[in-house]
Amino acid sequence: MLWLLALVPLLAGAVALAGGGRSRLWLGALAVAALLLTLALSIAGAAQGWSGTLAWSGALRLQAALTPLSATVAMLVPAIALPVLAFAAAEERRAGLPRLVALLLAFVGGMELLVVADDLLTLLIGWELVGACSWALIGHDWRDARNPRSGLYAFVTTRFGDLGLFLAAMATYAATGSFAYDGLRGLPEPMLSVIAAGILLSAAAKSGQLPFSPWLFRAMDGPTPVSALLHAATMVAAGAYLLARLQPMLGGAGWFAAAIIAIGLATALAGGVVALLQSHAKKLLAASTSAHFGLMFVAVGAGFPGIAILHLVAHAGFKASLFLAAGLAGARAGSFALYRMRLGRALPAIALLSAVAALALAGIPPLGAAWTKEAVIAAAGERGALLAAGCMVAGGLSAAYAARFLLLAYGPAGDAGPGGRPAIVPCAALGGLAAFSLLLSLLWLPGAREAAARALAAAIPPSGTVELVASLLSVALGVLVGLLLARRYPAIGLEGRSRAAAAWLGLPSLISAGAVRPFERAAGAAAWVDDRILDAGPRGAACLAQGMTRSLALLDRRAVEGSVAVVPAFAAWLALLDRRAVDGGIAGTAAFADWLARLGERLADGLPEGAAAIAGMSGHDARRLQSGMSHHYYTLMAIGAAAMAAALFLEA
Amino acid sequence: MLTLAIFLPLLGALALVALPGAAEARLRQVAVAAAALPLLLLLAAWWRFDPAGPAFQSVAEAPWVPSLGVAWRVGVDGIALAVALMSAVLFLAAIAWPAETKGRARQYYAWFLFLEGTSLGVFLTLDLLVFYVFFDLSLVGMYFLIGRWGHGDAGRSALKFFVYTLAGSLAILLAILGLVLVTEPLTFDMRRLIASQPLAGLDPRAGLVLLGFVIGFGIKTPLFPLHTWLPPAHVDAPGPASAILAGVLLKMGTYGLIRLPFSMMSETFARHALPLAILAVVSILWGALVAFAQRDLKRRIAYTSVNHMGYAVLGIAAAGAAAGNEAARQLALTGAVVEMVAHGLITGSLFLIAGAFWQRARDYDLQAYGGLARVAPRLAVATILAAFASLGLPGLAGFVAEFQIFAGTFAVYPWLAAIGILGILVTAALFLQMVQQLFFGDLPARWQGFPDLGRVEILVLALLLLLVVAIGVYPAWLLTLVEAGTAAPAGAG
Repeated sequence: MLWLLALVPLLAGAVALAGGGRSRLWLGALAVAALLLTLALSIAGAAQGWSGTLAWSGALRLQAALTPLSATVAMLVPAIALPVLAFAAAEERRAGLPRLVALLLAFVGGMELLVVADDLLTLLIGWELVGACSWALIGHDWRDARNPRSGLYAFVTTRFGDLGLFLAAMATYAATGSFAYDGLRGLPEPMLSVIAAGILLSAAAKSGQLPFSPWLFRAMDGPTPVSALLHAATMVAAGAYLLARLQPMLGGAGWFAAAIIAIGLATALAGGVVALLQSHAKKLLAASTSAHFGLMFVAVGAGFPGIAILHLVAHAGFKASLFLAAGLAGARAGSFALYRMRLGRALPAIALLSAVAALALAGIPPLGAAWTKEAVIAAAGERGALLAAGCMVAGGLSAAYAARFLLLAYGPAGDAGPGGRPAIVPCAALGGLAAFSLLLSLLWLPGAREAAARALAAAIPPSGTVELVASLLSVALGVLVGLLLARRYPAIGLEGRSRAAAAWLGLPSLISAGAVRPFERAAGAAAWVDDRILDAGPRGAACLAQGMTRSLALLDRRAVEGSVAVVPAFAAWLALLDRRAVDGGIAGTAAFADWLARLGERLADGLPEGAAAIAGMSGHDARRLQSGMSHHYYTLMAIGAAAMAAALFLEA
Repeated sequence: MLTLAIFLPLLGALALVALPGAAEARLRQVAVAAAALPLLLLLAAWWRFDPAGPAFQSVAEAPWVPSLGVAWRVGVDGIALAVALMSAVLFLAAIAWPAETKGRARQYYAWFLFLEGTSLGVFLTLDLLVFYVFFDLSLVGMYFLIGRWGHGDAGRSALKFFVYTLAGSLAILLAILGLVLVTEPLTFDMRRLIASQPLAGLDPRAGLVLLGFVIGFGIKTPLFPLHTWLPPAHVDAPGPASAILAGVLLKMGTYGLIRLPFSMMSETFARHALPLAILAVVSILWGALVAFAQRDLKRRIAYTSVNHMGYAVLGIAAAGAAAGNEAARQLALTGAVVEMVAHGLITGSLFLIAGAFWQRARDYDLQAYGGLARVAPRLAVATILAAFASLGLPGLAGFVAEFQIFAGTFAVYPWLAAIGILGILVTAALFLQMVQQLFFGDLPARWQGFPDLGRVEILVLALLLLLVVAIGVYPAWLLTLVEAGTAAPAGAG
């Protein structure tokens, strides 16, 4: 039954594709209905404890089950996808819309599959399906070659991470004889470390953590709903989810927690700086996604996977909303350059709804996202005050770029431009997401918070007043810095050092120079070696064959005189077969042999210099063979026969 | 029944020869019918196949040369039946494909049917000598298909293919003699050879025989560094012949490895499996790396065959060495067989697609294309699906194979498996780059009139790709059959 969670969106996607020519309304209604059904199924599945098993073979069994943690994410995915898909069906360009809706639905289906997975094989299937969908979605507008190139970049980067999952699955099978998550408990070293490292690699790549973060920038070439979904509830969310899901099993590897925390904190800080300097509205949000997933990594590393999932939920609400808002602003302004926007007067309703999401991003109470971020800091505090301080700085950065984003994108400006009423669906989509963010404010109430913790079976870290005050001060300082930057330096990130820093601190160039180009050069060199060196031996042999065909032609002429030649007879037989059985294509033995000889000549003509030496040698041999003296032939035949006899004798 | 499956296409070839003056369309109908019959017969054999029954089923025997222990013996286990079924499907697809017959349709289809009969013979026979005869005869059929219906420097490529693989056959012949001559009484019966393991404990001779098999089948597979005959043969072959070359003929190499050295001298094979596994990993990486650098559509696909067959050989080698770990042994071997089936269907499709490009544009240069999704959306969808299958995306056949191979291999050679998976990263990059170059971006003016796939082409590709999806989504129906063949045989291993 649990498979339905993945099947419903996948099938709906197929229907959307099959019903291609239908109207926007039809596509939107189909998507909304499918997602509502998925949401209902996930709630029912969690309530009734559904599971699923599909046996491919004795060794390969796909298993699905829900834990409190995965049930939460399984509900979150369709809930967030719902407004995003409605937005897509209403707002995106008509051309290719069925394909876009179908792929977005498949994206949700793949994500649900990896969420309900209870073994590494099922996980890997969903995991890679999501990756493939992201390729197709980022390159959705394929007429511009840049978009599919970005899709390729994203897919190859995340697939590099997928190798970690392959590794983990292989190691799990070798150690336990199955792929089930259950077997991971209490595995001995070094297998546990191999598995943990593989999981961490794939999670970091999927969640845009260092050093894989730049793919999230390239992913911005996709349409707005793709970015919204990819950053909120699917794809990027998969990494943090997986770590949270498997943390209890893999915590035994001593280095595991420290490594997650190191990657997460580094990404949270670096992503914050990049976002603060970024001048492209969607890329600012993309860098902030990396940063916030970095915070979730820290929470998992500190031993509070439930807190990471709560932050994931809060983040999904405001990030989807911000991306849709950025998309509307970009469409309105004609570009995603932040300094050209200031659409507060032109789109007041959207501006208001974005403000809710931006405040959540900034972490300002009483929004729920603020509470989950403080909970992450408290969790970090359990591992040490310094770590908590690092997270506070990341929170401050988040406040700063949130303020800068809101002011630049939806701040008031002199010329309002032609107003016009905003379309109803985008407002409803943003409104729904804002309501979701506001609803999460309940987390500040102790009763609601404990209920959430119980539902997630999660521990809540104790928070100190000092910590809270310090963190809020950092947020306030961040907001000030952000506003200051937006007012004084609206063009920051457009040129000079800030531009270089805004491009992921130069990481993309480093990847290009350190990995992509060396790989391309290696491939070129390998192709050269393959052509020139590995093929030289066979070419030498071909040369020898050429010499042999020449002598065969000679022998064939002699055959008229009655001498016996076994091989030309075979050639004659072949030619006969071809002529008799099929047509009169090749006229006879001599013609066939002559033809072979001519071919041989052409072969020799085409030989590169490197093989010339061999050619010379074999030519020499061939001339020697063609001495025309019969006793030479008899000698050669005798030697050959003796060699064959010797070989047979040895074999026997 | 299996005998009929071998001889019906051969008879069909003769019938075509006896049909002078028939129109091309009619000839194709006859050929398609003659190619469909063996598929039906094999399906019937599959229907009757009992996975829990004896290893070899549908067995038929007729004495031939009793003094040498040679007889006409046919029969299938799960491995042979799976590969033969795939071959029959692919032959049907390749024959139905609207190819350019250069005004010699009769000969073209006759050679194709001849090749089908001999290829099925390789997979269905249980006699080592008959195996060898069919193995060599298939070369003849392919030689003429490449040489006479190819393009570019077809004659030269065909000759290179013929001479190179014939050299491999000679190594196999010597190895077969070395294996059989110690049996007492003399027999070429594969079942008895598997049961008796004639060379057990006879090193170094067993080692030499194994070397002969590995060289011979390694050339056919092809395994690094014996693969250089493959790219020119593919580039100059007509599309359907390429599809068969990659889909069926290469399988003879891996099938031979499993059927002969792996089964008949398992002890020796296990002892020398590590070098073979290393070669397989080198093939995986080398094939992918060199494919990435190719600017020629067909050469690129051809080199990915080196990569994919490397996966299959890795699975076989790991299974051979996995003594004592029955689960891993079976997983790796099953993966290798599924890889053979999957690669046949997927790469067969890709080569048919490459043939479609040649028929329309006479150009394999990737740089010459772009934006074709505008004018040929169906071709784009088929290519993308086949490309994703080839790069091992879950939900498609290649993943089922590769995942099992790697999971099984890791238990035996963890380092090799860990290095080998890099191959799936490189193939991802090279296939997506290929798709992007062909179909996305701007459409050059000269391809404005590029025709999309025709009706027959769609049908053929739909059949192959549907199977790819069916195996990818729910492979249980195939795995049940294959695992009947890969389960440890009683009294061996």
